[in-house]
Amino acid sequence: MKKLIYIGISLLFIFQLYSCNESYLDTVSTDSYNEANWWQTENQAISSINGCYSVMRNAQISQYEQLMEDNYTPNSYSHGGDVVLATGAHNPGNVASFRNKWDICYQGIGRTNNVLDNIDRVELSQTLSDRIKGEAHFLRAFYYSTLVNYFGGVPLILESPDFAEHSDLPRNTRQEVINQVLQDLDEAVSLLPVSYTGSNIGRATKGAALALKARILLYESRWADAVNAAKQVMDLNKYSLFPDYRGLFMVENENNSEIIFDVQYLVPEYAHSYDVYLEIQINAAPTLDMINSYLMKDGLPMDESPLYDPENPYENRDPRMHQTCVIPGYMFMGKPAVRSKYFSTGFGFKKYTSFKDNVAASSSSPGTNDINYIILRYADVLLMYAEAKNEDGGPDDSVYEAINEIRARADMPDVPEGLTKEQMREVIRHERRIELVMEGRYYHDIRRWRTAEVVMNANALNIEGDVVQTRSFNPARDYLWPLHEVTIQENPVLEQNPGY
Amino acid sequence: MKKKRDWSLLQGESDKLKLGLKKMKLTIIFTMLVILSFGNSYSQVKVSLNFEKANIQQVLEAIEDQTDFIFLYKDGILDTEKEYSIEFTNADFEEVLKSVCEKAEVDFEVRSNRQIILTEKVGNNASSVSFQQRTVSGLVTDASGQPLPGVTVIVTGTTIGTVTTPEGEFSLSIPANAQTLQFSFVGMRSQEIPIEGRTTFTVVMEEETIGLDEVVAVGYGVQRKATLTGSVASVESEFLESRPLTNTSQALQGINGIYVNQEGGQPGNDNATIRIRGVGTLNDNNPLVLVDGIEYNLRDVNPNDVESISVLKDAASAAIYGNRAANGVILVTTKKGKEGKMTVEYNGYYGWQEATYLPDAVTNSVDFMTAMNTAYTNEGQPKPYSDAQLEEFRTGTDPDLYPNTDWHAELFSVAPMNEHNVRLSGGTSSVTYSLSLGYLNQEGILIATDAKRYSLNSNVVYKYSDKLQFGAIVNGSYWDRNQPSVSIDDFVLTGVNRPLPIHPAILSDGRYGDTWLVTPGHNLFRNPVAIANESSNRNQSKRAMINLFGEYTLPFDIKYKATYAINNYDIYNHRFIPETYIFNPKQPDVPKKLRFDPPNRSVQRTNNNNIDISFFQTLNWDWRDNSEQHNVNLLLGFSRESFYRSNFNAYVEGFLGNELTELNAGTINKDLGGTSSESKLMSYFGRANYGYLDKYLLEFNFRYDGSSRFAEGHRWGFFPSVSAAWRISEEPWIQNLDAISDLKLRASWGQLGNQNISLYSFVSNININQGGTFNKTIVPGSAVTTLADPNISWEKTTLTNIGLDLTLWSNKLQIIVDAFDKKTTDILARINVPGQVGNLTGPITNLYSMSNKGFEINVTHLNSVGDVNYRVGGNIAFVDNVVDYLAGDEQYTTNRYGNISVIKEGYPVSSWYLYEALGIFQSQEEIDSHAFQHAKTAPGDIKYRDVNDDGKIDIDDMRVMGRSIPKFTYGFNLEADYKGFDFSAFFQGVYDIDVYPWHNYGFGLYNGAGITKDQFENSWTPDNKDAKYPRLFLPARGSQINSKNSTFWLKDASYLRLKNVQLGYTVKSELLSKADISRVRVYVNAQNYLTFSKYKLTDPEKDILKQNIGDYPNSKVLTLGLNVTF
Repeated sequence: MKKLIYIGISLLFIFQLYSCNESYLDTVSTDSYNEANWWQTENQAISSINGCYSVMRNAQISQYEQLMEDNYTPNSYSHGGDVVLATGAHNPGNVASFRNKWDICYQGIGRTNNVLDNIDRVELSQTLSDRIKGEAHFLRAFYYSTLVNYFGGVPLILESPDFAEHSDLPRNTRQEVINQVLQDLDEAVSLLPVSYTGSNIGRATKGAALALKARILLYESRWADAVNAAKQVMDLNKYSLFPDYRGLFMVENENNSEIIFDVQYLVPEYAHSYDVYLEIQINAAPTLDMINSYLMKDGLPMDESPLYDPENPYENRDPRMHQTCVIPGYMFMGKPAVRSKYFSTGFGFKKYTSFKDNVAASSSSPGTNDINYIILRYADVLLMYAEAKNEDGGPDDSVYEAINEIRARADMPDVPEGLTKEQMREVIRHERRIELVMEGRYYHDIRRWRTAEVVMNANALNIEGDVVQTRSFNPARDYLWPLHEVTIQENPVLEQNPGY
Repeated sequence: MKKKRDWSLLQGESDKLKLGLKKMKLTIIFTMLVILSFGNSYSQVKVSLNFEKANIQQVLEAIEDQTDFIFLYKDGILDTEKEYSIEFTNADFEEVLKSVCEKAEVDFEVRSNRQIILTEKVGNNASSVSFQQRTVSGLVTDASGQPLPGVTVIVTGTTIGTVTTPEGEFSLSIPANAQTLQFSFVGMRSQEIPIEGRTTFTVVMEEETIGLDEVVAVGYGVQRKATLTGSVASVESEFLESRPLTNTSQALQGINGIYVNQEGGQPGNDNATIRIRGVGTLNDNNPLVLVDGIEYNLRDVNPNDVESISVLKDAASAAIYGNRAANGVILVTTKKGKEGKMTVEYNGYYGWQEATYLPDAVTNSVDFMTAMNTAYTNEGQPKPYSDAQLEEFRTGTDPDLYPNTDWHAELFSVAPMNEHNVRLSGGTSSVTYSLSLGYLNQEGILIATDAKRYSLNSNVVYKYSDKLQFGAIVNGSYWDRNQPSVSIDDFVLTGVNRPLPIHPAILSDGRYGDTWLVTPGHNLFRNPVAIANESSNRNQSKRAMINLFGEYTLPFDIKYKATYAINNYDIYNHRFIPETYIFNPKQPDVPKKLRFDPPNRSVQRTNNNNIDISFFQTLNWDWRDNSEQHNVNLLLGFSRESFYRSNFNAYVEGFLGNELTELNAGTINKDLGGTSSESKLMSYFGRANYGYLDKYLLEFNFRYDGSSRFAEGHRWGFFPSVSAAWRISEEPWIQNLDAISDLKLRASWGQLGNQNISLYSFVSNININQGGTFNKTIVPGSAVTTLADPNISWEKTTLTNIGLDLTLWSNKLQIIVDAFDKKTTDILARINVPGQVGNLTGPITNLYSMSNKGFEINVTHLNSVGDVNYRVGGNIAFVDNVVDYLAGDEQYTTNRYGNISVIKEGYPVSSWYLYEALGIFQSQEEIDSHAFQHAKTAPGDIKYRDVNDDGKIDIDDMRVMGRSIPKFTYGFNLEADYKGFDFSAFFQGVYDIDVYPWHNYGFGLYNGAGITKDQFENSWTPDNKDAKYPRLFLPARGSQINSKNSTFWLKDASYLRLKNVQLGYTVKSELLSKADISRVRVYVNAQNYLTFSKYKLTDPEKDILKQNIGDYPNSKVLTLGLNVTF
């Protein structure tokens, strides 16, 4: 008995000290917020909408993958990776972008949904509240429209991500998604300011929402509506063409009057590697077809123009050729370019590199570039207007005006008068190709024009005219990307696109 | 009941009684504990005697009746005629004993197991001390009391000695100044016994290593192996000695039921992966490691400081560690001093290391270029190298322009290593001490890698009184490791296994070379020699543990012990990226900046500072009834532990040159970060043992654990275990069987937990690193990136074990068999969330369960034939891993070719998930008649099975096709000695395990990388249709027809390896005694020298789930070593 008492006393002695002290186990995270203590301050609200923009720096939206999409068009050729979409050897499992594009767009959608669901919990000024909502609507529309461009109809999710609710949603129709995108953009147009100052420059504006709306309507062939939207952008009288085409893609001219919306970068925190992709690795190189499609200075194609000299084929061309492409023998990076450096096709791209023709520079390193990636610019709006207007009612004066404005900036003569609607269509399409090469537009253009099955069933040639790639495009299948097999495995309700 | 044991009986013929004289094996570690228990039991006892004219036997019997002690003595030493008058009332036992023995004119010695040995009085005649020589005599027996003939008895430090007679007796004349006698016998542990004026000795020799009375460390204490009810495996220091172990984790290789995988030999970073009884979770599968009771890292314990390692394999043994014990528990005990004069031990070796396996790459440039051109042609793409370039290479002789570089030869070399350890130890009756210092200097076999370790271990125990003792253990280590700036895996993967034969290393003018050829996918040559020589990454890690403990005996022999330990470790990492230029031999005057990652000349410094504080207290009560039938041991404890982690990193660019490499020398683009966190554990634990006659044994353990890793309401868990054992060999009916020395049946059941998930997994954190920039101004940004489940709690493991220990023919054969069933439920895993749900990382939740059923056998045989003593042992462990429940879900792992492995109900965890390759298409007809694979499939491509028979090969045709967990692991060892020579060999094997190496050299020509000779020479061509490999293809840039994840590339990585072989010689002590050296041993050791495996690309002992060959290669090590004891 005595022993038991001793044991008891000893136990009390040891355990008494601590046993009631359960709070010993309470610890708090010292470097992160959580959902319970979020959505309380203005800073948190602004930080949250900024998080919706950060998704755009993903390769699928603005970096490598996006920059390389011209490789699946007659514009450009990749001597190395990412060839299967050009050669038609793709299937639902062998292109990572099929999955990544899907995932990254839904990442943006999830974040914008979260902002829209919670922003009213924060006490904000009306102006700021409107602006943040407008930005969220714009970005959601951007992400959904991107999905539609590649995949067609996708599951339409408009609430904060919920694993239980959203995991097994099927695809909505393309039309349903487009309708939502247009509705979001109308919201954005009504909520967003026309412009910003200081460190807000770069956020979505009313003009950006209108321009994106014009693009979507154009892609949907809703010509009159597209004309209307593009016209509204022009009527804002805020945008104009930047006088120097090459300078448009230079860091020192960022946020100029032509820029409607871009993805913004800053070395070293938010940097990319365009120089490496384009100048060192030559991951994209202009094809001979691209070079040959630049008109002569007189506005005629090279096989019709008297200015063309087979001995000097790169003289007297549309100035945008030398502003966009590296050509052997011509100055780039302070010295004449040599064929061996541009081992892929013999040509290279200047656009989106940081290098100048007459300034010597050594090759760049990864993660050292920060030129903003342009999503929407005024020249594109003018071309959208011209195309939609021409399709809607034929080539009226406003069509000529729009297209000649672009030509004038490039130091090219006006488009000849008196073109038919069909002739004008060809002029506009050609102008789009030249003006917007390497900006991630042409892959969508040849698919919406349904010309991909012609231009992509062809060979890619190098400067010597040798075949470097035999291309293939299956019209029954390739106008849409497949859903990646893993995407379907994650949600088996999703239906695969036809032909895959 | 008569307890008196007549000594003569023990010597007699009919000693079937198998009486006592069991002496606990006093391993150094437990000396202190034993002294303590002995001291206490003996000083607490009170005795009352009242005799008038009793003979000595009556007196002794009376004492025995009142105490737990029994007397043992040799016939004739007591004068039974003499009568005594004795009166004591409630007197101290010690006092009584002294008085009685004085009167009876005998000496006494109290043994730990409550035996008192009575011997003839030494120096009855005081004058005899003056004689120069005196005679000592005695008896030597084994643990069971059998006399041992042939035992060598020498006076320590001299050549004076003898051997015991067939009756186990010895008699020896010794110098008067002799201090100790040394007893040695093969297969038995040598003993040194202080003479201390005695003339007779009774010595019990103990079996080396597998003696039944060994004690092993268990949670918060020690237990006798004989009465252990759980499954505990142990390694003694002898096994570790003299092996060139650079990391204590390697010491566990060969323990039954433990899978130890050495994944590379980078100096300072060669931790082996340890799996105890299979893979129980997809989270942290590492066992809990405690060094002297404190959570620690095996890397930071010098193997030379290890006295013993216990591995607690079943729940019965491990449950006392509760929610950290699910993967098993490893208890490391460091060396302690023992009473006696100071000994100094030196242990050192010098060795040479060499890579075990390196890929056998094509090193001929023309061959490589031909392979590339063929592959591009096969893929329908233009050739990367023109015919002119090929011809140039074929005829060119300038080694700068036309190299044939063997990169493995450039980057690997035979590397030296050496280690030196010194230990001082000794003690008096009140203080014991041990102090050791260690130094390891290891060069790496790979260029620019090396490491040094400095270690210290100090252990002091002070016995203040019979009731109170305290002590301190200080363990410190400092590692200084160097490597190139890139992570070592990346360096091996892309620096070692990616450069091509066409790339020059160093040009003839001494500058670093660059290539003049354009290779798609490999336009940028990152010269690895330049990277290794110019960049640096230094990692210094320092660890210091101070472990203070005190033990006090409360009334009723209740022992209170408190331990407080601070374990501090800091890691400092310093990385320098230089600016270095490489030169294209065709344009030698155009420097090209060598590409690093990050690209700019910069310094990054990262500091990690961690402090763990443990405080635990235990109460222990050991009770045995007077009749010795019942034995109860109770342990109760309480502990609190906190784990503080912090880190700080800083980065800066803008250095003026490569000379200065400190942060302060940089000027621009400064970047920094840092954070800290704390996690805590609070626990109650206990153990109760009950033994009846040491025959029927029962044990109960529990731990009640609270962890800060989970939300309130989900924090506390109860982890119980019960176990029982029946020592059949103690039953009278079996004791007639001479063959059986020991037979024990064990069974246990218990529950364990695993709490090792990242902190705050239970809340959806807002990730605040989602910022961006507007108008060249940085703005903060945030978003939820990961979902969380607030209800998560620890994983639960239920482990049932049945075991049998059998020892036959006086320990000549020992068999241990264990069968177990380990079920883990509520395994924490991330749920796959479909991309459409915000592309969020899924929540960690208590998702699924899996089981490991297994079977382990360990057999040891030891014997002597003439002068040869040998021991052979073998073990095999089968583990059958199955995912039992996954809520009907399947969790896939993907690589660039899609799914590669799966967690799926009914299959082993992380099984390879692949297409089944049927061989190679030989003709277009064969392709046409087979299921559709790909529009560009051609003869020479791999043919896949259309499993679901739907006419096309797609994701639905993938199945579980291979295992990443071995079916069984096995090992065997051989030890022998002969007249001073000793030999040992240890083999380890792994059976039925698959690896899937793709990437560089896994697939030839991967993204512009090289190709192995094997694939180059054995690829399909129309002229070589019976080929081992498909036609050459482009795994990264082609149609991916042949690079689909298929069984074609799955490789059986089973192996059997001679892990270690050693030959040693112990120099005869006569030669050394003059130099005051008691022992000198020299040895030669070879590690990893022999491997049998079908897998040849890299060492088969690799990280199995890793799908590339970016591991620092393992090395073969040859060492010459020396052990000296002064």
